[in-house]
Amino acid sequence: MADRLTRLTQVLLIMLGVLGLRLVHLQVIQGGRYARLSDRNRIRKLVLPAPRGRILDRNGVLLADTRPSFTVTVVPTELTDSALSLLARLLFIPEQALRDGLKPVAMYASPVSVKRDVSIEEVASVEESSFRLPGVHIRVDPVRHYPGSNSYCHVIGHIGEVSEEELKRDTSLRRLDFVGRAGIEAQYESLLRGRDGYEYVEVDARGQEIGPLREKRPEPELPGRELVMTIDDRIQRLACELLEPYPRAAIVGMEVRTGAIVCLVSKPDFDPNIFMAPIDPETWDSLNSNPSKPFFNRAITAGYPPGSTMKPVVALGALRQHALDRYTRFQPCYGGYKYGNRTFKCNYAHGSLDLVGAIAQSCNTYFYQAGIRLGLDSLTTYAREVGLGRLTRIDVPGERPGNIPTREWLDARYGKNQWGAGSVLNFAIGQGEVTATPLQMAVLYGAIASSGRAVRPYLVARVDSAGLTIRTTAPEATRLPMRQEDIDVVKLGLERVVEWGTGTGARIEEISIAGKTGTAQNPPRPDHAWFIGYAPADEPEVVFAVLVENAGHGGTVSAPIAGRLIRAYFSPAVEPQAEPDTAATKPESAPAATEAAPATSQPESQNP
Amino acid sequence: MKRFDPGLIAATLLLTSFGLLAIYSSGGTYFFFRQLIFLPMAAGAAAAAAFIPRRFLYGLAEPIYGLAVLMLVAVLVAGTGPGSHRWFVLGPMYVQPSEFAKLATVLVLAKHLSIKRNIGFSFRDLTVPLSMVAVPALLVLVEPDLSTALIFAALLAAMLYWQGMRPLHILLLSSPALSFAAGFSLYTWIPYFVVLGIILLVRSGVRKALVGLGVNAGFGLLSPVVLSSLKDYQRARIMSFFAPWFDPHGISWNAIQSQIAIGSGRLIGKGFLQGSQKRLGFLPNRHTDFVFSSLGEELGLLGCLVLLGLFYWLLSRMLLAARQSGDSTGSLLCVGFAAIIGYQMFVNIGMLLGILPITGITLPFLSYGGSSLLLNFVLVGLVLNVVSRPE
Repeated sequence: MADRLTRLTQVLLIMLGVLGLRLVHLQVIQGGRYARLSDRNRIRKLVLPAPRGRILDRNGVLLADTRPSFTVTVVPTELTDSALSLLARLLFIPEQALRDGLKPVAMYASPVSVKRDVSIEEVASVEESSFRLPGVHIRVDPVRHYPGSNSYCHVIGHIGEVSEEELKRDTSLRRLDFVGRAGIEAQYESLLRGRDGYEYVEVDARGQEIGPLREKRPEPELPGRELVMTIDDRIQRLACELLEPYPRAAIVGMEVRTGAIVCLVSKPDFDPNIFMAPIDPETWDSLNSNPSKPFFNRAITAGYPPGSTMKPVVALGALRQHALDRYTRFQPCYGGYKYGNRTFKCNYAHGSLDLVGAIAQSCNTYFYQAGIRLGLDSLTTYAREVGLGRLTRIDVPGERPGNIPTREWLDARYGKNQWGAGSVLNFAIGQGEVTATPLQMAVLYGAIASSGRAVRPYLVARVDSAGLTIRTTAPEATRLPMRQEDIDVVKLGLERVVEWGTGTGARIEEISIAGKTGTAQNPPRPDHAWFIGYAPADEPEVVFAVLVENAGHGGTVSAPIAGRLIRAYFSPAVEPQAEPDTAATKPESAPAATEAAPATSQPESQNP
Repeated sequence: MKRFDPGLIAATLLLTSFGLLAIYSSGGTYFFFRQLIFLPMAAGAAAAAAFIPRRFLYGLAEPIYGLAVLMLVAVLVAGTGPGSHRWFVLGPMYVQPSEFAKLATVLVLAKHLSIKRNIGFSFRDLTVPLSMVAVPALLVLVEPDLSTALIFAALLAAMLYWQGMRPLHILLLSSPALSFAAGFSLYTWIPYFVVLGIILLVRSGVRKALVGLGVNAGFGLLSPVVLSSLKDYQRARIMSFFAPWFDPHGISWNAIQSQIAIGSGRLIGKGFLQGSQKRLGFLPNRHTDFVFSSLGEELGLLGCLVLLGLFYWLLSRMLLAARQSGDSTGSLLCVGFAAIIGYQMFVNIGMLLGILPITGITLPFLSYGGSSLLLNFVLVGLVLNVVSRPE
């Protein structure tokens, strides 16, 4: 009997041993894994989105902000049938559509979005009836908002949903996040974005939140930095307004001493707020297929032949090389200049002019001869030395360097020495393959205005965090190879341009302006109109470069715009609305100051 | 006055206390107090069982058995339960006739077997005991409640062994049932069949082996037929045992969540009342069938081992009682009751640990439930009775 008892006890011990070993396996060997599984069961990580940093103008005007967007969500398992009909009525959704939409998620115990970006009135009506709407909730999402809408579409840019590649590259990003896509938003992405925080809540087996998790502290979000721009909203808006009549145009305004950009406008524009909601295909197609390319920031990206605005560069280069002085007179202008067997045209018979007069009247004949005397290599080398053909390094993506065609460039383009010797004549009046962006020209004229000090243009003056300034942009400048006495001669010429030359359209009573008109030839379409001017002429503070595509003469279209902007810049308050703006609508042009047009519309090589 | 085994009483009370704590933690005060109300009733029944004169009890064996079978028939007609006929609802109480039938079967079987010694593998010796077990077992099986039906096989095997039957013969006897159980999946049935074949060839002749294997093959083939006739939830439970991670949110969910609960308790547990799996509703039936999972989660390996130790104490005292009992009927009663409690403990904990399929077996003394507590206390009372000495 004893051995039977022992046997049965052994069987019992084996059973208990099997259970015990399995317990050790589950609780000790695999305990860590099961503890994680248990936490994954009960812990839900909630994102506390970091608000994207605001963007302000130099005076604190709000340019980009994050506003709350309301989304109505429902928990399908909690939604009653009557609540569904009521909700459909309150949100103006066809009831059947709502019913069909919720069918595939009918078993979900977590919230599902029903309608995004609902109006505050709809929010109020849903909140009022909340007791009759079980399972209906309102979620608040931060949405980027650009109060300046079209005025800032290029300079501030916009944000867009992250792509798959960005998600792979940057692990701090999550699906459905928005990142800067253009302009300042893209350039300063890392500062603006901030860091999302996390909160841990406990959920039960049905997925319902029980409350905050005690053992894991929330990580607070770090809001994005606030950017204070150099832009003056008043000037920016005025610039946009002044360009309203023109389909394609650009304006850059800049402080000459610091490089702080006052305004930066490109037309055509678009409303960046459309990217914040699911964009409707029609708008998208019309923006994308627009031949004027609204997304293109002409002020920094488009290279235009500088036309006559190139002439001060030629003058400075030639003065520096002692190729001429301010009293040098060349062969008089009889409406053109014969070079080889070709005649390069000037559109007025200026007669004999000295350098100042030639700048003031924009005489092509004078500058053809100055160019020949300077020579192609010296001209292109000097143009590069003063910053043309090079990036200005402005703090916004997309800048292009324009083009200064050197001998090597021409050889590569047309074959060794296959380009005509007359190229230098074309380049001397800023035509042909010479191109520059409005920004480059603004920087160049700023340097002329401030004794050869070329600044790096910048858009963000200050970075703030929680009310404290954490970074201030220090102006950067380089000295260009310009002698003061040469600069004085050219500046005198530029003053004369506005006083009685081609740029009188820019003239305003209160402030003396100096500048230069230009007409960029754009065959076969109408010419582009340039005006680049700074003010006050004797002690310059600000420079504006205005380019209007296909508008003809710079003196008639662009110069008055620059004048208006300069007046606004120097008037402390809002510009008086009552003042008749003859300058913008009725540009006067002196008969003697007709814009010099180039002689040939084709590169030399094609006219052997 | 009688003298009772204090160890058995202590083990029972400790297990019951453990159970009350577990019910409080997992079921809350409502179930805790209900179980507490059952406790005096159970204790009273246990005392009655401990003091009832043995001769009188043995004399009642056949009537009790008859009553149990009648109740099993009645529950099939008028009973309720989740997709089955398991319970009578009597006012606030659920009465499970199968609980009563276990007791009755052990009683009648003990009385019958006590007059025989060295039971052989023969029709003469086995017809009556097999029939006695088969009637209630089949009635429970068609409720349907497979795991409870198998309790009858377990207690029969233990009692036959106690009365001198060779383990090989018990294996042979139970092999058709084992073949049937293993036959739900080819992956379990083939190893089982091979092992059985080897044992039979070594221990008995070729002819016997072939007969045995033939019978086994027949029962094994029966199993898929039965499987296809089972209710969906039963089939899913069985299939989920063979592939538990296949459908984590379906039927296997219970098994997985139970293992997560126990495993995440680790060495010393999350602390009493602190189990998140239990608290947040990841454990189904957490105060009844799954009470051990919440214990494992909150008290960890140490708590579980203490519990297993208490079961060992209780069961070893019951087995010891079988030897110390003055009469052989009493001995057999002890063995049969120990088999019931041991089987339920092993199957319940085993299923929660993921080594056995999820079935509706309760954990004696711990799971919430009045009739189960009552029966277990009566079992202990009867064991106390048969080993008590007049003072």
